[in-house]
Amino acid sequence: MDPIKVLVVDDEPDFVQLFVKRFAKRNLDVVSAPGGREALELLRATPVDVVVLDVRMPGMDGLEVLREIKRRHPLIEVIMLTGHGSAESGLRGMSLGAYDYVMKPFHIDDLLERIRKAWDHARRRRADGEAPA
Amino acid sequence: MSPQSRPGGRPGPASAAAGGAHLAAQWGLPLGVLLGALAAARLPGAGGALAAGAAALLAAFTVHRLRLRIRAASQERGSLSEQLVQSQKLAVLGELSSGIAHEINTPLAVIGQEAELLRADLETLEHGPAREALGRRLDSIEAQVRRCGDITHGMLQLVRKAAPVLQPVVLAQLCEDMALLAEREARRREVRIVRRYAPGLPETLTDPPQLKQVVLNLLVNAVQAVRPGGRVELAVGPGAPGWSEIQVRDDGPGIPEENLSRIFNPFFTTKPPGQGTGLGLSVCLGIVDRLGGTLGAANAPGGGAVFTVRLPEGANPPEPGPALAR
Repeated sequence: MDPIKVLVVDDEPDFVQLFVKRFAKRNLDVVSAPGGREALELLRATPVDVVVLDVRMPGMDGLEVLREIKRRHPLIEVIMLTGHGSAESGLRGMSLGAYDYVMKPFHIDDLLERIRKAWDHARRRRADGEAPA
Repeated sequence: MSPQSRPGGRPGPASAAAGGAHLAAQWGLPLGVLLGALAAARLPGAGGALAAGAAALLAAFTVHRLRLRIRAASQERGSLSEQLVQSQKLAVLGELSSGIAHEINTPLAVIGQEAELLRADLETLEHGPAREALGRRLDSIEAQVRRCGDITHGMLQLVRKAAPVLQPVVLAQLCEDMALLAEREARRREVRIVRRYAPGLPETLTDPPQLKQVVLNLLVNAVQAVRPGGRVELAVGPGAPGWSEIQVRDDGPGIPEENLSRIFNPFFTTKPPGQGTGLGLSVCLGIVDRLGGTLGAANAPGGGAVFTVRLPEGANPPEPGPALAR
């Protein structure tokens, strides 16, 4: 089975480095972007199954990035990371089509499980043939 | 979740007692009549009178039970057809409102972009009262554009074409995720979210992100409905065989009787203008509908509102609730 391709988007380099390292060890194929615009740019050329996206970032706001990702790549599942767990942001995110909301700090195995489920959701959607081309 | 606490809509599973009553109702009447007839025909004296009396009592009891069941069943049918009407209404309104939303989104985007350009122009002006006043006007325009955007977004949600993608889900875990998200807002309002997750439930085959949207929506509504110090109860439990239930109950003022039938209508809201689009519950109803479940609103006997989501555990659920003729 091909490893799950994950893109992590966060403006904190330390967090991103650690994330890439830890999830690569768990057999994920991880790439990263420091912000929303970079993420969208990267997605043009790089196929990704799941995006892990920080809600609060300078520049392009996480929810804005989510909206663009779902518009351009409806088959990609997005997991939102939030430091402060806001219900309103959660509602917006879920209604924009986020797969999940995870609060920082997270347990790595818990997030891994959620990434797997998001990937499974995308796979089932493709199998259902419901997704627009 | 006790059977008594179930609001309108499909009733939950019969408890053991109700099951016994069900049996008694099914067999009691013919048995009673049979015994009565036998007693009248064969048994002379006191024994006969006793048997006849017992038979009459049994018959009376079963007739009473039957009447109760018939009434419950017709109420159930009533609320089921109400839900059907509600769903069809939603489908028509959704179609219409998504058309409107698409039409409005384009000019809205133009207004937003022009405001952005004005903002850039404003930066080139000299600082002073005039620039600040213009800045405030621009703030207002941008805020209202965002508000319109929220409304059109909600309108488009009503007919979101995304077919559900079913995955096995542990409902309690899904609900807990959303409770954690709502918790901060709840704490800020000094509201307690009490969890009651029945253990040992089978996994439910449903679309997790869409269901999360529903649960979070109900939770946020409930948290906003209660006074400081109030409580919101989030319960997950078994429903009728093959069904599960999620219940969000608050101890707020409840839903005025006259609003109960309108609460799922798009744009119906009791919040002050500008707060909430009045689309949340109708979006929820649309989602639960697509998931093959039902969403009901009621007032709890002890006060407060109860929202109940009933979901089939699998893709091909058995008939929900005991039917009258079985």
